[in-house]
Amino acid sequence: MSGNEIIDYAVLIPLMPLLAFPVILFLGKIFNGTPTWVKNVKEGGIIALTVMGASLILALLLIKEHMHHVGTANVFTWFESSWWNPETGSITTKVFGFGIYIDHLTIMLLFVAAFLCFLINVFSIGYMNTDPINDNRNHRFYAEFVLFCSGMLGMVLADSFLWLFIFWELMGLCSYLLIGFYYERPSAAYAAKKAFLTTRVGDVFLVIGLVMLWNLFDGHLDYAYVFNPDNIAAVDSGDLQLALGMMFIGAVGKSAQFPLHVWLPDAMEGPTPVSALIHAATMVNAGLYLVARMFPFFGGAELGALSTLAIVIACIGGITAVMAALIAFVQMDLKKVLAYSTMSQLAYIFTGLGSALWFANNGYDELAAFAMGASLFHLFNHAMAKGMLFMASGSVIHEMHHAHHEVAHHGHDDHGDHDDHDDHFDAQSMENMGGLASRMPITATAMFVGSMSIIGIPLIGGFWSKEGIIASAWKVAQEEPIFILPAILVLIGAGMTGFYMSRMWFMTFAGKPKTDVAKHVHEQTPWIPIPLVVLTFMTLGAIIFAGMHAGHWLGDFESGHYTNFFDGIGYEMEHVFFNHDPFLLLLTYLAIGLSLGIGPYFAMSLYGGSLDGDQKAKPWMQWAINISAKVNKSSNFDNSAWANSSLANSLHKRLHFDDIYDAAMMKIVVGFANLSALFDTKFIDGAIKTIESTSQEASRRLRSLTTGSARDYIMMTALGTLVIFMLLWGVA
Amino acid sequence: MIDPAWVSGLAAILFIIGLWGAFSRKNAIVVLMCIELMLNAVNLQFVAAASHWGDVTGWVYAVFAIAIAAAEVAIGLAIFLSMYGQHETISLDEVNLLKN
Repeated sequence: MSGNEIIDYAVLIPLMPLLAFPVILFLGKIFNGTPTWVKNVKEGGIIALTVMGASLILALLLIKEHMHHVGTANVFTWFESSWWNPETGSITTKVFGFGIYIDHLTIMLLFVAAFLCFLINVFSIGYMNTDPINDNRNHRFYAEFVLFCSGMLGMVLADSFLWLFIFWELMGLCSYLLIGFYYERPSAAYAAKKAFLTTRVGDVFLVIGLVMLWNLFDGHLDYAYVFNPDNIAAVDSGDLQLALGMMFIGAVGKSAQFPLHVWLPDAMEGPTPVSALIHAATMVNAGLYLVARMFPFFGGAELGALSTLAIVIACIGGITAVMAALIAFVQMDLKKVLAYSTMSQLAYIFTGLGSALWFANNGYDELAAFAMGASLFHLFNHAMAKGMLFMASGSVIHEMHHAHHEVAHHGHDDHGDHDDHDDHFDAQSMENMGGLASRMPITATAMFVGSMSIIGIPLIGGFWSKEGIIASAWKVAQEEPIFILPAILVLIGAGMTGFYMSRMWFMTFAGKPKTDVAKHVHEQTPWIPIPLVVLTFMTLGAIIFAGMHAGHWLGDFESGHYTNFFDGIGYEMEHVFFNHDPFLLLLTYLAIGLSLGIGPYFAMSLYGGSLDGDQKAKPWMQWAINISAKVNKSSNFDNSAWANSSLANSLHKRLHFDDIYDAAMMKIVVGFANLSALFDTKFIDGAIKTIESTSQEASRRLRSLTTGSARDYIMMTALGTLVIFMLLWGVA
Repeated sequence: MIDPAWVSGLAAILFIIGLWGAFSRKNAIVVLMCIELMLNAVNLQFVAAASHWGDVTGWVYAVFAIAIAAAEVAIGLAIFLSMYGQHETISLDEVNLLKN
């Protein structure tokens, strides 16, 4: 702790947004509706933007400083507590306070969170402040927004699991508040409650896990102590596995994995910037971060002792990847497709982490680092692409709304009083869109690039990381037979991703407009395109990050061979396209074939089509539309049998998970509540009523002594005195 | 010098008269007077005991008792006055507001 190091100011990164929260809230309360507040401050948006910008700059400086070494800093000490252990006779001193811990993992998450929070803030100013439904309450949005960002930034910077948990819960609160932003809509209120309660189920297990960890590590939850290999080796690995398993359930809830995934699609009820925030920048990454944080435990515990947990993590990931992709096949709501895609992609990351943890626990350090790097890089790519996709979908929805108002107000003027807009029009349904590629060039490009990144089209974005995850999973499967399940599932999932993402893009942007409204869409809202353009380039340039990343992560293991940036790119290229292992090489081309060929082919044959004759998309999208039109004409693919099948029906019902949970809740919770109610009326109320009636009866009898006659009272006094005298006499 | 035993006897008689009066009379002022009588009987007893034992404590007690009795009379009479104001009577038999 010397001098003016940037890490000493790192605490400001979460602190500034935290302090901005009350400021925006109260200023908004005071100045609500005044012209300056609405026009110049954007109802708090500019304050939030300033704060997030400052956090981003500080975060970038911090990342630059700590790119190559772990950093720690103590921010403040609350109190110290010492206790004496009677068995060993030693005195343990425990310091309670807050500190900063920065390593590779923190840097990755910090960049993702700070960068995306800033861009989403820019987007929000365009999206929220131009929608009349939000007038005079945007300050609430921005206040909760900065609090949310503060939670995420604090969580990645904190130096102990306890603080991680505190910020984790802060995010849980904010997700509740933001998903329920339109609280006057019952569906939004329901979704907020559902998200909160579902993640709560996971959080209970997280707390249990933390308490177990606290016990195992002699009252320590700070990384410096628990990640010390000596301390890990001293712990019983069976207990450790149980504790980590409990914590993993918390991560499952937060990152919306099977079986606690039900809240994520409903979370779409919030405003679109919130969806982007939850799905890309913050909330769902928290669970991944927690699991990635467990890495040192797996490296430090005895060989193979924690394999089971690693396998469970990978299997949960594999199952979710395919399940979510299946449900995404039938979604008509633009944002819901993206929601399920989020679940599916997070599941990839979990599978990758599971592989990394398995390698780490079985002594393959280099492979573990590779898998870990691939997982985190997929987190990065997914966050960038998904943030962009959500903002682009927000842009589409926003402009659809505008166009709809336009059509309803001006297009129908000749109908006189016929003004039926907002009745049944769903601006989020892809059935109302189509042919938007030429009308919204920036949005369509962003969506195009984002979808390609998620699909894993070679050379951009998610391709690098997805190949890494699939390869890692298969590499584990060669050693550990159970791992074949997640390995196959993620491979199939690659093709499915190709289908549903292409389907979404072609339904929205290709073909003829399906409604009158879609013909009137224009890209006109300021602020919105900025983050889209930035993220488009980020995603396209992912190879640069891949190079940096590979150089960075593997540098430690290949004796400094890959520390150079260009070496890193070379390493990535070589690993993906010219792998020395023929099996993995085959696997790579199989995955490319599935995601680039099969998936999009079916999507094109079902939903492809050329634009209106007078419309022309930008050249980099026009070719895809042309191909889709050709495929669509030539294939004559009829899917009605499949669309009416019982599987499709159950997919529409989200594979009945929500129904099953509802029924189970009805049976268990309501049954238990009835039992409690019975106990309450019979036992607790009964006891109180008995006390009450007994004292009533006693007082009724005693009351007859009060005659109201002064003479009787004198008599009683005299007699009483006499009795006292006699007693005294008798005693004396 | 009268033998304190006589005085004690007088005090006992006075006390019993007061007690009997307090029980049997229904006029509140008379009852109050009877209570005063009992108090004074006790005072007399104090004084007698003091002169018997040659100790001033009894006299001091007597003075305190007189002072308190005066305060008590003031309050008692005030109560009767207000009682009369409300009930037009000071007969104890007809006032039993606290019954049950």
